[in-house]
Amino acid sequence: MKQAGIKVLIVDDEVALANTLAQRLKMRDLQVETVYNGEEALSRLMQEEPDVMVLDLRMPGMQGMEVLKEVKKTHSHIQVIILTGHGTDKEEEEAKMLGGFGFLKKPADIETLADKIKDAFREKCTRTP
Amino acid sequence: MHSNDRSEQELKLLQLHFIGKILAGFTHESKNYLAIINESVGLIGDMVQMGKSSEKDLSEYLQIVRSVEDQIKRANEHFRALNRFAHRMDTELSSFSLNESIEELIALLTRFAKQKKIALIKNFQEDLPSLFSNPSLLQFIVFSVLDEGLLTLEKDSRITIETAGADHAVQIKIIPEGNVQTMESEVPSVPHEVVEKTIKQLNGNIVREGTGKTFIMLPLTAS
Repeated sequence: MKQAGIKVLIVDDEVALANTLAQRLKMRDLQVETVYNGEEALSRLMQEEPDVMVLDLRMPGMQGMEVLKEVKKTHSHIQVIILTGHGTDKEEEEAKMLGGFGFLKKPADIETLADKIKDAFREKCTRTP
Repeated sequence: MHSNDRSEQELKLLQLHFIGKILAGFTHESKNYLAIINESVGLIGDMVQMGKSSEKDLSEYLQIVRSVEDQIKRANEHFRALNRFAHRMDTELSSFSLNESIEELIALLTRFAKQKKIALIKNFQEDLPSLFSNPSLLQFIVFSVLDEGLLTLEKDSRITIETAGADHAVQIKIIPEGNVQTMESEVPSVPHEVVEKTIKQLNGNIVREGTGKTFIMLPLTAS
């Protein structure tokens, strides 16, 4: 499996954080795009589908959990990893129930995140014919 | 239990809730600053490992360093607001600037406002005299009104906070603008009667208009 082909969409309202994270993941041969709110994330899906979405929970306007719900309703094959600074056990459970692939807390080790993205991509490949 | 003791206890509990909320917002912001610094430093490490040392790379290193410095500056301002907020409780009565005390409260509530896409607009009269009162209780009162606005207003609304001088007094005007949510569960986190009792402790008064505007009048000297 070619990891360079994995398309990742980072959704985080902290612009500096999203951009730096994207740069670091690109150095690990992933194709990364960034958007800075939930609404933008959903409209981006209409143009180009990522394989994996890395999604923050607390954002202005549409919250991460609402985005996850919507993504799973309309693009169930896209794997979603929650990356949050403030996730509670209850939210982790809820994300799992909604079909989230993983739940990481900020600051996450970059290799852990990259590995999780690759695992999520593998999962997507097994589910998509 | 005597009714005075009961209302004193209720006020203490509500003040704890207020402090808890301020701390929750503060830690959220702080974690963001740390996360950005963490990723920026990680990026420098990645670049070093890849042996990046061209002139273009050096300018990128500098850019990352500046971004870290900027985050540290922002975090420092945020820490200062919390530190000043905490010291407001050192003594019951003190001399303080009304504008500064409200400004620091707004700084600590910005995270919650941003979450709901509600703009907090300041419109302060610059040359207000100092107050001799209880700054901590005053912040609690202003928080109660702002928190209710943040809870009940819909996204993309705004709340303007105005200060102005009056005869041996100051006035704080809080003006919410936007659609109000009609969810029944959204009750004010601080009951109005508690706010009214608290403002009386400072010899002030509070008037709520049907339009949602709130006027808080406070004498220059509380005692």
